[in-house]
Amino acid sequence: MNGKPKTCCSFPYGAGKPLWPAVLLALLVWLAGCSSHGRKRSGALLYWSSNNPYEIEFARRMVAEWNARHPEALVVHQPVPEGQSSEEVILAAVVGRTTPDIYSNMWQGEVEAYARAGALVPLDTIPGFLDSLYARCDSSVIGEVTATDGHIYQVPWKINPIMMAVNLRIFREAGVRQIPRTYSQYLAAARKIQRDRDGDGYVDRWIGYSEVKVEWWQRLFDFYPLYLAASGGMPLVQGRRVVFDNRPAREVFRFLRALYAGNYFPRERLSARQNPFLAGVIATRITGPWSIQEFERFKPPGFQYRFVPLPVPDDHRGPVYTYCDPKNIVLFSTCRRPEAAWRFVAFLISRRNDRVFLEMTNQLPRRKNLFQDPLFAPIFEQRPALQPFARQARYVRGTDASPVLKEVFDAISQQYEAAVVYRVSPVERAIKEAAQRVQLLIQ
Amino acid sequence: MLRKHRLIPYGLVGPYLLHFALFVAFPVLFSLVLVFHRWNIIGSMEFVGLANFNRLLHDRLFFRALYNTLIFLLIHIPLQIVVALFFAELLNRRIRLRGLFRGAYFLPVVVSGVVVTILWQQLYGFDTGLLNRVLVKLGLPRLGWLVDPRLAMPSLALMATWKNVGLYIVLFLVGLQSVPRHLYEAAELEGATRWQQFRYITLPLINPTLFMVVVLSTIGGFSLFIEPYVMTGGGPLNSTLSAMLYIYREAFTFYHMGYAATLGFFFAAIILLVVALQRRFVEREVHL
Repeated sequence: MNGKPKTCCSFPYGAGKPLWPAVLLALLVWLAGCSSHGRKRSGALLYWSSNNPYEIEFARRMVAEWNARHPEALVVHQPVPEGQSSEEVILAAVVGRTTPDIYSNMWQGEVEAYARAGALVPLDTIPGFLDSLYARCDSSVIGEVTATDGHIYQVPWKINPIMMAVNLRIFREAGVRQIPRTYSQYLAAARKIQRDRDGDGYVDRWIGYSEVKVEWWQRLFDFYPLYLAASGGMPLVQGRRVVFDNRPAREVFRFLRALYAGNYFPRERLSARQNPFLAGVIATRITGPWSIQEFERFKPPGFQYRFVPLPVPDDHRGPVYTYCDPKNIVLFSTCRRPEAAWRFVAFLISRRNDRVFLEMTNQLPRRKNLFQDPLFAPIFEQRPALQPFARQARYVRGTDASPVLKEVFDAISQQYEAAVVYRVSPVERAIKEAAQRVQLLIQ
Repeated sequence: MLRKHRLIPYGLVGPYLLHFALFVAFPVLFSLVLVFHRWNIIGSMEFVGLANFNRLLHDRLFFRALYNTLIFLLIHIPLQIVVALFFAELLNRRIRLRGLFRGAYFLPVVVSGVVVTILWQQLYGFDTGLLNRVLVKLGLPRLGWLVDPRLAMPSLALMATWKNVGLYIVLFLVGLQSVPRHLYEAAELEGATRWQQFRYITLPLINPTLFMVVVLSTIGGFSLFIEPYVMTGGGPLNSTLSAMLYIYREAFTFYHMGYAATLGFFFAAIILLVVALQRRFVEREVHL
């Protein structure tokens, strides 16, 4: 659903070559590192931002402002070098010891592994960091970003809450008056929306779609946000204990299984063609605020949509949580002046600059009471499409601190396919087996 | 002067040797070291003795991937040989536009593997795919080419055959053109049918080519990666999870470098064994 296709080439079928892009990438990062070493020798701090054009513009502006005021701690900005993914580039940089001093696009799920490898600076050892963090975030966020060794290696910076986009026209045409909030309502709407539009005997309009490829990170955009919604934001693993062998996980599996069983979700991959949500092939889509730009740009005439919280079990009480795809700021241990680097980061995440960030990038800063804060309110009034995400921002979770997080999602993903998509395994057994595999890994 | 002349060959092979040492010999030796270690690239290596082998012996998913690869080979190799030989036989005759056909059959070989897989993904689509549209036109039910666990691997084998058959057609053409014409003339005088000529003259004489095609398509089939990687991700229900894809995942998704190296060596040993067996049986055929 949110697939970033990853491709490799080969002779004759492709097994040999995946090393080449990696070698080239390592060379590229090494070359980038050579130039950065030159800057480091001059005493400047090297800052890598995401290579999203809006963030590059924001970073350039911040660095210019900072350098004008702080000649004693000059910062050089560079977007993260191009690669298959920024995660891969960072990995290559860590291995090659060519990491920047500051990096502001670190996926929260990777931090624990890098921290254990000694690649990151424990920020809580820098004077002033904890005060700043407590002013910015509530205790649940601080708990979430605390590593298993008790240190904090990341600054919670920006989030993109995952919500459900709804095609209002399809709902209206199908006679569904209320946007579904619970599993029963969603399934009832699914029955009404399902159609064979060309009369060939096969369904060609569904209520939703989830990527069926067994890739661990795909579950970050279907199972995981639904699990957080159903469980009120519970973790999957806590320290050395597996938590997800529980009722909410089973309910999410049962719900999705019912959707596949009724052919309300297609088993075919829809990602390789025109956006199925904009084409009216599916009526809802679980996605983040990054889709707004695509929807606005490519929507057909008369297309109306709205973002709503994810559906929850019928007996659910309390707020509806979701996954927020957090990207955070870290200092790499190759940094020779961590205190100066922290001062720059503190400037970058100040309340005033968070507002600039929101204005320039349409991404939400991870700070408490964002929607209620009068400094940010005018922006949300000007940009109503962002309001649901800003409201949702109070009830979001990132990822658990675990060095085997990918394996956790892979275990769930394997069972997801068997129990949910193909229904060859009972839900209870599927969840239990995934939990047992993760427990073995953790131990 | 003589000494200088002696150095020239070393200078000529030097760049290749350097490339070989850096990108072949060193990775192989380093992988051998990894086999006895646990290493996630970013952390330090931990010696684990034979733990990786122990894990391999209990890894059901890896054996499933091996089984899938075997199924792929069993479909792909005979299909590849029959189709390539059939078209080579046709293209060896004096037909109109022979050059055009030879070029056309070879075209998929030079097209990028990723492009081919994306193209076939569209052909195999359940709802909008061309193949299912043809089936519906013929009054037949649609097939879940890539979503039915029973059909997914044969679908990949079919696509791989289409992609690579051009190369093997060329190889067979070379083999067929080396068969002396007078043998066929003599056989015809003796009253041999076309099938008998093919069975007792063509097949034995193109046997070295056949052996090469079998070995090349076996090695190619064992390294099945790009098709499942792009099209199915190993699914549905791990039915297209190939051994190479599994090793790749272990290495570059989960960074289990030691275990991936162990799988790699084990897999290489299997390929060696299969090629040795093929050599033994196919070579025996030559002397029939």
